[in-house]
Amino acid sequence: MMPEIGQLSLIFAFALSVLLALVPVYGSYSGNVRALLLAKPLAIGQFLFSAIAMACLMYAFYHSDFTVINVASNSSSMLPWYFQLTASFGSHEGSMLLWVTILTFWTALVAVFSKSLPLLMQGRILAVLGFICVGFIAFSLFMSNPFERSLPFFPVEGRDLNPLLQDFGMIVHPPLLYVGYVGFAVSFAFAIAALWGGKFDSTWARWARPWTLAAWLFLTLGIMLGSWWAYNELGWGGWWFWDPVENASFMPWLVGTALLHSLAVTEKRGTFKSWTVLLAIAAFSLSLMGAFLVRSGVLVSVHSFASDPSRGLYLLAFLLLVVGGSLFLYALRMNAVRSQARYQLFSREVLLWGNNVFLLTATLVVFLGTLYPLFHKELGLGSISIGEPFFNQLFYYLVIPFSLLLGLGPWVRWKQQQLPPLLKPLTLVALLALTIAIGYLAATQSLAANLALLGCLLGAWVGMSAIGEVYQRAQQLGGFSSGISRLQASHWGMTFAHIGFAVLVIGVAMTKTLSVEKDVRMKIGDTVELNGYHFTLTDVYALNGPNYGGQAAELEVYSEGEKVTHLHAEKRFYPLQKTVMTEAAVHARLSRDLYVALGEELSGPSWAMRVYVKPFVRWIWLGGVLMAFGALLALLDKRYRSSTVKVREKTAEIAGVEHA
Amino acid sequence: MRKFLFFIPFVLFIALAAFLFSGLFSDPRQHGSALVSKTLPAFELPDLMAPTTLYNAEKLKGKVYLLNVWGLWCPTCNAELGFLTELRKQGIDIVGLYYVQPQDSAFGESFDLTKLQQDVVKKLQEQGDPYRLNILDEKRSLIFDLGVTGAPETFLIDAKGQIRAHHVGDINPQNWPALGAQYQALLEEAAEHKPTAEAATTAGAAYAN
Repeated sequence: MMPEIGQLSLIFAFALSVLLALVPVYGSYSGNVRALLLAKPLAIGQFLFSAIAMACLMYAFYHSDFTVINVASNSSSMLPWYFQLTASFGSHEGSMLLWVTILTFWTALVAVFSKSLPLLMQGRILAVLGFICVGFIAFSLFMSNPFERSLPFFPVEGRDLNPLLQDFGMIVHPPLLYVGYVGFAVSFAFAIAALWGGKFDSTWARWARPWTLAAWLFLTLGIMLGSWWAYNELGWGGWWFWDPVENASFMPWLVGTALLHSLAVTEKRGTFKSWTVLLAIAAFSLSLMGAFLVRSGVLVSVHSFASDPSRGLYLLAFLLLVVGGSLFLYALRMNAVRSQARYQLFSREVLLWGNNVFLLTATLVVFLGTLYPLFHKELGLGSISIGEPFFNQLFYYLVIPFSLLLGLGPWVRWKQQQLPPLLKPLTLVALLALTIAIGYLAATQSLAANLALLGCLLGAWVGMSAIGEVYQRAQQLGGFSSGISRLQASHWGMTFAHIGFAVLVIGVAMTKTLSVEKDVRMKIGDTVELNGYHFTLTDVYALNGPNYGGQAAELEVYSEGEKVTHLHAEKRFYPLQKTVMTEAAVHARLSRDLYVALGEELSGPSWAMRVYVKPFVRWIWLGGVLMAFGALLALLDKRYRSSTVKVREKTAEIAGVEHA
Repeated sequence: MRKFLFFIPFVLFIALAAFLFSGLFSDPRQHGSALVSKTLPAFELPDLMAPTTLYNAEKLKGKVYLLNVWGLWCPTCNAELGFLTELRKQGIDIVGLYYVQPQDSAFGESFDLTKLQQDVVKKLQEQGDPYRLNILDEKRSLIFDLGVTGAPETFLIDAKGQIRAHHVGDINPQNWPALGAQYQALLEEAAEHKPTAEAATTAGAAYAN
């Protein structure tokens, strides 16, 4: 019965979303305050019913109700209970319902936390979100129903969850990613509501900022978790593969980063208005396009769900309506808006403009690299594929000027900056960065690794500059010790995010150039040496998991005669899905990872083993976490918490409506 | 002018949507091979069962046939054998190109032809034998020249030795009609040109003599 309750709740949620998309629109045109006020309960109700639907689906998975097709094809009774729960969003249908739940959750959050906004604006924002909800709930309900039953003939055992998804990283990765993706819907709704009203003062930017920050925070964490998961689970020691679907999540991130910076300009200086609106539309459009690419089967990827052209067609039509519609509205409304603010060539505005240009170029690179095979084929030029070298090469070139600008940006003032006062501290920063980077490499004596040197230099430059800027700002606020406590949370947020980026750049540069790997055949008792580490295979034995078998290897690692660690690598076989999975053994330290993947059993008995030493690979994820932490700090800034209801503004707005 | 600038994102998006729309109706796994309508690359490879017999592009000319890249190590190829055998019974001419996987001597692997021959015979007895003959590509040279990305892949070769289609993945009752129609069309084309083609071969033979 639970699946039916879920189905029914989803239908209720759909009805509420239709009302949410219509009633406030009526209210905004007719000046009916009651219709505008109805938006909030509608949004909350919509979320409650979606959440009930999601809970019902989880219940069906938890109780292994194989009469539900979705459960039968994605779970089994042998699966541990926590994976049974997460299997509920392992399939296309389930993940769509999760998407809907998160979207309605964001909508409800906006409804609850937008008390300080004029009622008219609230209504418009919620109506835009309601319209997006209608699209996705209808898609879930009519095109990919997660509750469909296979009665009266149902299987006694399920087909099990894809073993790739049976990992802790996978429990958290999709929800985080979706929270990020869908969060951009809020920035999008703010932008559309602003376009709709035709009022472009800096207030909409101030409102949109915390929401964008929150979405960006989750997207950053989601992407980082995905990368960490791939590293542990796929057994090839890689952390980013430029897979079309990875790219689909990376593009909204890049545009979202540009949007965050652009919003700052619009809020503080009232300029870049049309640019910011376009970025807000683009960030969400790219999220939508990502959903389309994953679910339509247009591109081949490890992440693709089973594809179905009718689903693709629906999503494309929705994409046309939402993205095409908003870009059309943008074209109609935005050309009338002009910015008055003036600024000189050497000013923070121009540097942030440069930041946008580089981030968007990066987006374009990813976009073309991802979709070029499709363009090429549809133009009748045959199939091609674009691989890692293309992306890596172009990103090397992009990161260099981007990092140099990033180091400089926070020091420079709005409007106009005189160069001389900056020269002294910046030279100091550059010297410190150089000393640290070159000093470190000289110590490790790897002169050939020019790229690593460059990466370290850029990372050190960005990092030192961020720290130095905080020091300088604190001094301006009246001495280092007292000034530092007076710095705003958002300033700390920026600093942490920039340091995060520096850490990430160093991590990527060092891992890319200094990693070593060896494919070896090992018998029990054999030792292999890599970068001064001695890996000894001590034992291999059969595994007996709840829903898998396979083999496990035990290794001892020594360095200079001293024991470093004990490693445990597994090769699992999942009989229901007939898939083999690698569980790599990783010994992580800040300066390096030791990574061992167990391969095939060879005659002997001996085993194929893949051994890596990857310096600084942790820094990649640490950088991501620091960036997300920065976003969190910025979110906690007290100016976003001032929920003082501006009664006067509100009544004025309502009066305005009634006159219209 | 300024007004039109703001329409650029919209126009670009519509163009993108058109591509995505056409992309929906074409299978990303279907290959437009760069080799289609080119002649088979030059090769000189032995027969799998009788390694002293050598084949080259010239020797295989004159008949429409399917060149099927396969290997015992590939489960999809093994699944495909049954249907291909049925096709052979309907008179479709299929030549096998045996894909030997790279051996890693570091892991004590070496190529054992006798064992491979025994295994192939056993497999084909069990599952059905669709092949007129099997070419052994131990070093994967022809396979590389053909741009094969995996097994199974099948090339449709016309009577003049030109590649006319490249099919990636298994051939099954669902996708055969399209490829089969192409095969029939080529048969008819070959029948029309037969006199000249024969004249050409005899002339070639005379010249060779």
